[in-house]
Amino acid sequence: MIADFIRILRAADVRVSPAEAIDAMAVIDAIGVQDRGLLKHALSHSLAKTEAEKFAFDECFESYFVPPREQPPQAEQPSDEHDEAESEAVSEAADEDTQAGDDDSLDQQGLPAGGGEGATSDGPPPSLTQMIETNDQAALQAAMAEAASAAGVQEARLFTQQGMFSRRIIEAMGLDDLDASIRQARDGGDDARAEKLKQGRAQLFDDIHDFVERQIAMRTKNAGRLLREEALSRIRLSNLDRSDMNIMRNLIRKLAKRLASRHSRRRRKAQRGMLDVRQTLRRNLSFDGALFNLAWRRTKVERPKLIVLCDVSGSVAAVSRFFLMFLYSLDEVMPRTRSFVFSNRAGEISDMMRDGDVDQVMEQALRAYGGGSTDYGQSMQDLAEAVLDKVDHRTTLMILGDARSNFGDPGHKVLKEFHERARRVIWLNPEPEATWNGGDSEMKRLGAYCTQVQVCNSIRHVERVLDDLLRQSV
Amino acid sequence: MNEIGKSARDAIDAIQSGYEQLGYVSDEQIATALFLAQTLEKPLLVEGPPGVGKTELAKATARFLGLDMIRLQCYEGLDEAKALYEWQYGKQLLYTQVLKEKLGDLMQGANTLDESMGRLNDFEDVFFSEQFLQSRPLLQALRADDGVVLLIDEIDKSDDEFEAFLLEILSDYQISIPELGTIKAKKPPLVFLTSNNTREIGDALKRRCLHLYIAFPDAPRENAILQARVPELDYKLRTHIVDFVQAVRQLDLKKPPAVSETIDWARAIVLLNMQVLDADFVRNTLNVLLKFKSDIDNVEPEVTRILRETESAAAR
Repeated sequence: MIADFIRILRAADVRVSPAEAIDAMAVIDAIGVQDRGLLKHALSHSLAKTEAEKFAFDECFESYFVPPREQPPQAEQPSDEHDEAESEAVSEAADEDTQAGDDDSLDQQGLPAGGGEGATSDGPPPSLTQMIETNDQAALQAAMAEAASAAGVQEARLFTQQGMFSRRIIEAMGLDDLDASIRQARDGGDDARAEKLKQGRAQLFDDIHDFVERQIAMRTKNAGRLLREEALSRIRLSNLDRSDMNIMRNLIRKLAKRLASRHSRRRRKAQRGMLDVRQTLRRNLSFDGALFNLAWRRTKVERPKLIVLCDVSGSVAAVSRFFLMFLYSLDEVMPRTRSFVFSNRAGEISDMMRDGDVDQVMEQALRAYGGGSTDYGQSMQDLAEAVLDKVDHRTTLMILGDARSNFGDPGHKVLKEFHERARRVIWLNPEPEATWNGGDSEMKRLGAYCTQVQVCNSIRHVERVLDDLLRQSV
Repeated sequence: MNEIGKSARDAIDAIQSGYEQLGYVSDEQIATALFLAQTLEKPLLVEGPPGVGKTELAKATARFLGLDMIRLQCYEGLDEAKALYEWQYGKQLLYTQVLKEKLGDLMQGANTLDESMGRLNDFEDVFFSEQFLQSRPLLQALRADDGVVLLIDEIDKSDDEFEAFLLEILSDYQISIPELGTIKAKKPPLVFLTSNNTREIGDALKRRCLHLYIAFPDAPRENAILQARVPELDYKLRTHIVDFVQAVRQLDLKKPPAVSETIDWARAIVLLNMQVLDADFVRNTLNVLLKFKSDIDNVEPEVTRILRETESAAAR
């Protein structure tokens, strides 16, 4: 049962390792299962290890270990219409109930999936009819849980399966038997009993429906989101829906974090260095060969100096936006990035990006530099005036644009200068390769002065480009 | 099953009341974590915003169990030499000097090279013996005879490497020293790790620990804490202080006031002999509660409103 609960936690984005699962068992050994509150705290200490996970854990715990439903009052007071045997059965059941509560308060504390043992192990399991007649909620729940696991409800993933699983469960619980009893009662003229059974049957259907729904909801809570994220990372950025912006933002943050942590580790390793034997010997010749002054071999760490030029005119704006968002999430490993945006003129937005919200910055940038038709020649010229003298052999220039110059000057002469001075010039084009050289696209002419030309129109692409950049530069 | 459950419940209640007598007001969640840490002999990773009493929890535990507390403050660049052990180089050097003079005496009577080598070898072992070993907090904790409370404070400030180095200690309570072999704890220390979450702690470390998150306390608990720490306050003023601080926490601040700040503020109020909170006084002492200029600027205009609202609540 704990294993099943852990599966559900995992579905809810709480990372639980096998070792932690073992811990959880040790915790249960130490604390017992009687006290629901205590159990919750204890499991939370050993399974959920961040604030967000604690929150998810609480939710899962509440919906998995449901407190038992209060018994409807009418069951407690058998009315006079019922024959003696039945009222006896009820009081017996009530006895059994309290007994079960004492023996194994597991049931009472509401562990539906495991509640079966205590209640049913006393004798042969009562039939569904009996359970409904005596309104034995504990036994019903137990039987339901048992039937559910037999029907494989753990495997349910889709809401469309709900009906099927409900049906399977109720059949496993003995629907045929119940129907037969109802018929029998009606044929026998015992309308009250038939009516009661029918009511019970309807109630049971409802319960099972709820149960299955809850199970599926628990197990699939995050599956949908994961699927969505996966899809979003591949989708064309220009086709992105506004409603997905938030998921997108989180996704970018997540990917950037992964990238940053991967590359910051590599950097540290490169810095450590080993003893440089040759240089040490040479340096210490003057001390008569006593190794006095040690020299360390150093792997030179190249910090990527990045200059980014992004087109913010209509067609490319969406891609630029996410590219910049991604880029500045990587501030930790690429602290010396300068970024420019252009449409008809180019302008620097590095400082704005560092302290502002991306959306605001994009708006401001669009107001300042957007508008008019794209002018590559003028924009390249602007860029060259601003940074050309700072470009050296460690600089990478990245240009994001569709290379459509509206039949004007594509600025290839300026780009040539950049190409000669910079370490790399990478052109990222959001259009698919097939359309690169049609119409007013100057990709061919500009591409000649680039180290690399790449398609870039999804988050996947952006991630790959930046990953390559970081890898090459260490 | 029932037995275990009952005794666990009793033990947890005992912990809670025991700590309360020592002036640490815990709740069920904290007490459960402490109970588990003791029973399962697992380290306890305590996270939460600064000033909610993470370090205090370890101190209170040491008092509660009557054990010594060894504290290791983490910082960037902390390494084994400072955390675990170090050879006393100076002392070793001194001994070498002494030995040099005695070398002639020592070698007297040694006829073969082998024999003199053997004699020298005996000395080498002496040099790397416990005599020259300088224990640092972690080794001290492992070698303590009747167990200690080991507090590794602000683990998030240390480097990844140090975190990895801690793993052996935390899972097996033992440590390998190349020159001496493996040292195993005589009695496993009760380990507390605290973190302010300035960076994410590695999964490997988290996995080995029980995890306790202490959030800002709710009003009744903060009230109880204040009662334990600043007993001079009367009930009404105390409630008003707590309500005010709780309300300030709701505002959008860079650093909301923590429990430690509430206590400081309450002490200041006692010291200045104030009987009621009035707006001018609060404005003048806001710097005790808030640690950023921008936060103070944000709260100042709100003081009168919050005071009015909380006063009526406290009067009820």
